Amino acid sequence: MSARWRDNPKRELWFAWWTTVVFYQIFGLVFFVITRTQPPPSPGWDAARIVQWFNDNHTGLLVGFAIMFLITGMVAPANALIAYSMRRMSVSPAFGYAYLVMYALSAVPGMLLLCIALSVGAMRPDRTPELIAWIYDFAFLTYIGTMGVFLLGSLVWMAAILLDKNRVFPKWFGYLNLCNALTEVVVSPAWLFHRGVFAWNGLIAWWIDMVVFVTYTAVFIVQLRRLIQREDFETGPLPDLAGATG
Amino acid sequence: MRRTDGELILWWTLPVLLIIWLAAFLMFPGFRPPMAPAMPADDVAAFYRDNTSRVQYSMILFNWFGAGLLPMLMLIAMQIRRMAHSTPILRYCVISCAAGGPTLFLVGNLFWLIAAFRPERAPELTQLLNDLAWIAFTAGVPFLIAQSVFLALAIFLDDQPQAVFGRWVAYVNLAVAAALAPASFAALAHDGPLAWNGLLSFWVKNIAIFGWIIIMGVVLGQTIRRQRAQERVAA
Repeated sequence: MSARWRDNPKRELWFAWWTTVVFYQIFGLVFFVITRTQPPPSPGWDAARIVQWFNDNHTGLLVGFAIMFLITGMVAPANALIAYSMRRMSVSPAFGYAYLVMYALSAVPGMLLLCIALSVGAMRPDRTPELIAWIYDFAFLTYIGTMGVFLLGSLVWMAAILLDKNRVFPKWFGYLNLCNALTEVVVSPAWLFHRGVFAWNGLIAWWIDMVVFVTYTAVFIVQLRRLIQREDFETGPLPDLAGATG
Repeated sequence: MRRTDGELILWWTLPVLLIIWLAAFLMFPGFRPPMAPAMPADDVAAFYRDNTSRVQYSMILFNWFGAGLLPMLMLIAMQIRRMAHSTPILRYCVISCAAGGPTLFLVGNLFWLIAAFRPERAPELTQLLNDLAWIAFTAGVPFLIAQSVFLALAIFLDDQPQAVFGRWVAYVNLAVAAALAPASFAALAHDGPLAWNGLLSFWVKNIAIFGWIIIMGVVLGQTIRRQRAQERVAA
């Protein structure tokens, strides 16, 4: 089996695709189940309630973010594969490189600062409540309020797809990138509100954005799979999937 | 005469960088011995009061040169480009990891410098800044682990008679990735081998990083020289 895998010219593409799939599974497990940071707790809580939240999730926070520190590098193949999709298009390589570097940068403010802050918060539960509340704000505001790199990265991918003449992705997927980019705009009131639909756990700033993000992620994983299946290693338009049954 | 392409100049930044990093590492009093996570807040505050300028000078040095490994990582990316792969995916993976390591190091570096800026503040605040610095520094290994794994995979997939790097380089990289992995769990322990001053999270991790730089530096230097010699013969 391993010999056949090595001989497959698409082996690197499939490695990147499977790593992407596994990464998002672990990411979902850590944030929704182990650390219970998704859906996020309320920004409206007082310090005593925040301390209780840390106590309720003590072990989950420490174990969950240790897993993230171990495996977050798995985002790199996802970025690499998406950059590759743009290299396969008729557009300038600048699009792929711009996306690659923006998303390489995004993991730190978008996730790892939260992992650092909440680990520090959980490791010393005897801190004064005001300090624990500061850690909580720092963690969730960096995580939810970090928008720019994702906003611009999605727009770069969208522009590349809409300009592309090699039919790498359907045009409607280009517009789905715009939906993802808009969620990054819609989340910005999270910096201003402590409660209500615009707060960081609110209907608009979190729930609607999460539905769009999950849909977008599921769709791009399927689209990247179709790209790998169709890849012919030429420079012209990508052929359709031979004998595709859907 | 061959045109200078500058790769050897970039390579020679490596021994210089290693000396500077080693000097900053030894100058930072928090590393000799590594501060214990179990230190009470008053002792942490006293540490920054007593060692203010040495913390500042060593961390300013690290701030200047924290991103210094990037030229070497790009030289590695250039070598991956010569490998017998059918796509640039693994080169992109290494490039995508390259900036993450120094960025996380810089987060730790900033908190150490902020902690030393006003050591007379309330001890709980200094302890918090110290915790943030140590966790960012210690657990900030994800991109270092990943780039070693991607480099190892790139070497394994380099199917050509004259491979760019020897197989053993791939195994060294996997061993380094394994040596860095326990540091991810540093926040779980206040003492013992996993704690940020422990055998695994401090000594094994940091020695693995220094060892990786030295081994990859030597291998890279030999590979670039061999590549130049081949190009001269071909020309």
